Amino acid sequence: MRSIRKFLDRIEPRFSKGGRWERLFPLYEMVDTVFYVPGTTTAVAPHIRDAVDIKRSMSTVIIALLPALIFGIYNTGYQIDPDAGFLQNMLTGGVAVLPLILVSYIVGGLWELLFAVVRRHEISEGFLVTGLLLPMTLPPDIPLWMVAAGISFGVVIGKEVTGGTGYNVFNPALVARAFIFFAYPGEMTGDPVWSLADDLTAATPLAVAASVQSENAVSLVSEAGYSLKQMFLGLIPGSVGGTSKLAVLVGAIILIATRIANWRIIAGSIAGLVAASLLANMLAPASENTMLSLPPIYHIVMGGFAFGIVFMATDPVSAAQTDRGRWIYGMLIGVLCVMIRVLNQAFVEGVMLSILLGNAFAPMIDYFVLRQNIARRKRAYENQ
Amino acid sequence: MKEIRLKKGHDIVLAGQPEKRLVNTGQPARLKIRPADFRGIKPKLIVKEGDHVKTGSPVFYSKAFPDMFVTSPGAGRIVSIVIGERRVVKEIVIDLDKAESFEEFGSFNEQSVASLSAEKIKKQLLRSGLWPVIRQRPFSSVADPDKLPKAVFVPAMTTAPFALDTDFVLDHDSTGFQMGLSILKRLAGSPVHLVTGKNSSSAVLVGAKDVVQHRFSGPHPAGNVGIHIHHIAPIRGRDDIVWYVSLQDVLRIGRLFLKGRLPVEKIVTVGGESVEKRLYVKMRHGMMLKDVLWGNPVERNSRLIAGDVLTGLKSVPEDPLGFYHETVSVIPENTRRDFIGWLLPGLHKYSVTNLFLSRLVKKREARLDTRMHGSPRVIIPFGNIESVLPMDILPTFLVKMILAKDIDEMEKLGIYECDPEDFALCSFVDASKMEIAEIIREGLEYVEKNG
Repeated sequence: MRSIRKFLDRIEPRFSKGGRWERLFPLYEMVDTVFYVPGTTTAVAPHIRDAVDIKRSMSTVIIALLPALIFGIYNTGYQIDPDAGFLQNMLTGGVAVLPLILVSYIVGGLWELLFAVVRRHEISEGFLVTGLLLPMTLPPDIPLWMVAAGISFGVVIGKEVTGGTGYNVFNPALVARAFIFFAYPGEMTGDPVWSLADDLTAATPLAVAASVQSENAVSLVSEAGYSLKQMFLGLIPGSVGGTSKLAVLVGAIILIATRIANWRIIAGSIAGLVAASLLANMLAPASENTMLSLPPIYHIVMGGFAFGIVFMATDPVSAAQTDRGRWIYGMLIGVLCVMIRVLNQAFVEGVMLSILLGNAFAPMIDYFVLRQNIARRKRAYENQ
Repeated sequence: MKEIRLKKGHDIVLAGQPEKRLVNTGQPARLKIRPADFRGIKPKLIVKEGDHVKTGSPVFYSKAFPDMFVTSPGAGRIVSIVIGERRVVKEIVIDLDKAESFEEFGSFNEQSVASLSAEKIKKQLLRSGLWPVIRQRPFSSVADPDKLPKAVFVPAMTTAPFALDTDFVLDHDSTGFQMGLSILKRLAGSPVHLVTGKNSSSAVLVGAKDVVQHRFSGPHPAGNVGIHIHHIAPIRGRDDIVWYVSLQDVLRIGRLFLKGRLPVEKIVTVGGESVEKRLYVKMRHGMMLKDVLWGNPVERNSRLIAGDVLTGLKSVPEDPLGFYHETVSVIPENTRRDFIGWLLPGLHKYSVTNLFLSRLVKKREARLDTRMHGSPRVIIPFGNIESVLPMDILPTFLVKMILAKDIDEMEKLGIYECDPEDFALCSFVDASKMEIAEIIREGLEYVEKNG
């Protein structure tokens, strides 16, 4: 470990001002601070500081994602051959999933580095999360070049054009996913894409429920062989990271306990979803739309809703940034998700679009919360 | 009396708490006055090198208010006047005489002070150099003698690390406290709010007259006067003035009028891991830190701070303790770089967040040094800074508006109610390592100049 420090210290002058690779300083800063916490001391008051930093915060998100990722790898293998055994499934799953993650990290990381060098800002740790989130929302058999194209779009258009991390309006991983979804719909929708097994077309539970008119959604889903328990545990076809609600729940507990994710967003989303789906249930008898009859609990465990609201809606930058705003933002996402799932049969999976729409509305929600705060202050001034 | 309970904030129980034992410093040989301590006073020198001053003799006056003096905290000879860049007076150095001589001011007893007019009180405070103990919000500068405030605040509770215990100070000697409060009430002609903590039991506080009593409880910064003002008499705008005076300075006002001489003593705490004796010290205003810490060895490689660790000034032993400071803190300097520190469980890392294992192991005292523990990044609103600010103010948005230099929005978001010291904990907890308190300071200066 001493030798790493010695090496970093030896090459440091070449990256600092006046050095030959001065422009690549962000790269040096990244490597240097990955290995060693900066030794800088406080210049102004307060003279002591909390041990928290962005690296710690972002790596906590990665830790929260791990259960879903590991389960996703296993499930990818399991969907090919349920009887192959745990190790074999992990192996086949790993062979399928790890390249997606590698491509996402390498291609996205190069963009990140390029912008850091040209725009002279640091390489942001937030990318570690974006680069992992994207492959986890994709079907396991997506071509690698699409991952590369998607993450490029997500990083450049979703984040860097508006100024980089902290200035993005939309969640970059979702922008990337939306890009792939709309640019290459053949790889992202329909039944064949969700499983690696060639001879198997596996419809996701949501697709099943939306497939037939004038039926009962619950019985359709269970006829297709999906029970609530199965959908909760997650041994079903679907995106890499999003099938197991149990793993997502573990992640949610980690994120809420560490307060990296704001619980108000998650609670608001669930409240919005429950309210909207109950309303839909009431309307169900009057319509031929099968999805209307889907009860709230099914909405929660089906599709990417749980994964989306826990890991993507809670991105602190693109979400609302006031506590009251976070409630409204969450509820909006929940309601929109049900609306898209139920009313728009072209997109059976509504959560991606609903979060992106929520992102778009977040600044406006904050604006009104801010005006409220200002009005409250005015009242306090008058009442004193 | 209703108790105002605050939930947001955080108490850092730092290692090296001062024990409640009071010692006197010896007579120092030299005192220093720093005009920079007095925010809002542009100094015009009265003395020159070689002049002789008594305790209470004017040293400089304010350019804006020629009646407002800053006076010498001791009797002796002016040995040097240090001028900095752009001819700013940096410090005035006084070598003390063996025998003390005093400038005499009017002295009164309980009855005769009651008949004093506000005008007379003002004159005596200005002439004696005690007026600057009265500061005003917004902007935390020395109070403008021509503008009366809507309220006066006397915070009689403390929550900052190593801060004085107010009961201890009053138990030691409370002479002049009631008189000081009555004088403030008469001078300002508006309510004097005396804010005490939940556990305060001092009879002098409970029985105080001419004041409106308040009780606050909660973690730091619940003891900061800015928080009290926010909850009792919030500041509407730049002309909505509130005065505040520290508890020890109320004592000094009372004693000035009782004795007719400038009181120059104050009690301060000395705390921190890197100093041998942590205790209460009775000292003279203007003393250098090395004299305050005489006979109290400081470890090598430590940081000397005039003031508390959250708001104080990084200092050298020859620096004087500031006019308003009531704490000397000495904490370890450290530049050690932890190997993959962001990845380790962090059993020994101190954090307000739940991101480290140390949160599960409750320790009595926190050992903290001067490290930043991370590199600066852009704002990512995790909600850390909101969790330590017990005010109805949205700090993230205020910071953004300050960075954007949007005066209109800053005003609407309540910048006039803010003071850097109330945002010190925000700087402490911010994951992006932004200097929130400094940004608030810059915002206030920008608004003061251009608003």
